[in-house]
Amino acid sequence: MTITIGLPSKGRMKEDASAILARAGLPVVAVGNDRSYRGRVEGRDDIEIAFLSASEISREIGNGTIDFGVTGEDLVREGLAEADARVEFCARLGFGHADVVVAVPEIWLDVDTMADLGDVAADFRARHGRRLTIATKYWRLTQQFFSGNHGIQLYRIVESLGATEGAPASGSADIIVDITSTGATLTANHLKILTDGVILKSEACLVRARKEAHAGDPVVTDIVGRVRDTLR
Amino acid sequence: MPLTNLPPFAADLVADLESLGTERVDTPVIQPAEPFLDMAGEDLRRRIFMTESETGKSLCLRPEFTIPVCLRHIETATGTPKRYAYLGEVFRQRREGANEFYQAGIEDLGEPDAARADARAVHDALHVLANRLPGVPLAVTLGDQSVFEAVVAACGLPAGWQKRLVHAFGNQERLSRLIADLSSPEPSGVFGPEVERLAILGKLDDEAALAAHIDATMEATGYSTNASRSPVEIARRLREKIELASTRLDARTLSLLTGFLSLELTLAEAPAALAAFAGKAGLALDDALARFDARVAALSDAGVDAAAITYRAAFGRPLDYYTGLVFEVTPKGDPAVLAGGGRFDRLLTLLGATDRIPAVGFALWLDRIAAAERGAA
Repeated sequence: MTITIGLPSKGRMKEDASAILARAGLPVVAVGNDRSYRGRVEGRDDIEIAFLSASEISREIGNGTIDFGVTGEDLVREGLAEADARVEFCARLGFGHADVVVAVPEIWLDVDTMADLGDVAADFRARHGRRLTIATKYWRLTQQFFSGNHGIQLYRIVESLGATEGAPASGSADIIVDITSTGATLTANHLKILTDGVILKSEACLVRARKEAHAGDPVVTDIVGRVRDTLR
Repeated sequence: MPLTNLPPFAADLVADLESLGTERVDTPVIQPAEPFLDMAGEDLRRRIFMTESETGKSLCLRPEFTIPVCLRHIETATGTPKRYAYLGEVFRQRREGANEFYQAGIEDLGEPDAARADARAVHDALHVLANRLPGVPLAVTLGDQSVFEAVVAACGLPAGWQKRLVHAFGNQERLSRLIADLSSPEPSGVFGPEVERLAILGKLDDEAALAAHIDATMEATGYSTNASRSPVEIARRLREKIELASTRLDARTLSLLTGFLSLELTLAEAPAALAAFAGKAGLALDDALARFDARVAALSDAGVDAAAITYRAAFGRPLDYYTGLVFEVTPKGDPAVLAGGGRFDRLLTLLGATDRIPAVGFALWLDRIAAAERGAA
């Protein structure tokens, strides 16, 4: 059976993912020109490469249309309900580090923990006539963290597809849930991360769709083994 | 599964509801999603079926009837008191059972005699269930959020703690964890470096000066001072938090709270037990207990046997909008909730009613009633 690996189609993630596979003895070459969205692994007719956008990779893995993918854990956990039942995180690849965090305005001097935020949220409507609003593109992770881990129900999510860090200052939301790698953008926007507000420490992962056909497939075992050995 | 799962007894049930002096209402299946998310919280989003209108308005399939019935009442502005009955399909993603199922129930809006209206809600739910399930022994559990609120207030706890405790009520695990936190000898509260700096500068002592400092910082960093939390609100809560950080829940209050929350007895015995608790603890609970006793009396006036109802002091239902009575009916020895309800005196105002309209109601799960009927046959 041919095994398909989905790789990021552009940017830093594409280079880093290809580099890892090359070190694992699976050098990726594009089919046709190097803008092509299909590729192969030199000397391996049993592996195909599909270049996809990072969020498509998590979706296609969820559907099982590709067997493996290299993408951020945050996108997989946000994109798929019950991610661990549907996919296996085979290896953490050591690049694409980003934390998904809860950040509030620095000037909220009284708020440093989720418990503080719970207090503020419980009171919010009585004071302001509306719920506390959270700007984020991470609906699922936010709901799981706020409701599941911290029992906070009383908030509303406002969807934000870009420049989320600016939302509190502009007044379009009270707080944010977003990714950060160095924290510089948060600081520049006068936001602080709650001490227990790290939802997920994400990085690029080799992710496998849990498919029955994979059981006993030597190619699957080979790919996972090679990538893991490279990281030792 | 059959295409329609309307139980065969639906017509009889509608007749029962009508005989209880109600007016039948129907509401659109497609509802604006906002009120449900606003009242029940964002977590509901995962469990309702949402869609969007062409203009981008969030819509959902009716997940329950209370909010639609209340909204309809506000729109039609026909005055109170009103007793509405409904029967129809609701749509929710459930872990067990179908995603679309039938519910029926009564919403009793604007009855000024709260005890009487509460008693009527419990009576009506039991009456309808008894007619559908003759011979099935039923268990009724009853709780009262307002008694817990009164206990917490009478204990003289700081306002910040009262709010936290009341908010956690009904969720046993969260409430126990919170009480353990408040009584642990470890100092609580985490403060950032800026707060420590202000403390050294002595800027935390005066609320007005602190608020002025916050205001100036917000101006300087481009934050609007009125779009979200205001400088005064932040300053006040910071001072409250500093005060609470060094206060612990003392042993006596801790044992009072846990003693109260462990009360579980028949409703007939509850008034005496609560009075004894208040007397022994030296807590002034007169108003809350008077309302509680009036409800017990109204229940026996309505012909409900208080000795057959279990009162659990810690019993609440996981919905933010209940304000007093809450109750659930199950078959004896079976966790399946056949009927659940309670009092929601703030909901209509939150939904936009200009007058305060006290309200109480209950919902019946027709699929579970049908299952209990099959089990009994």
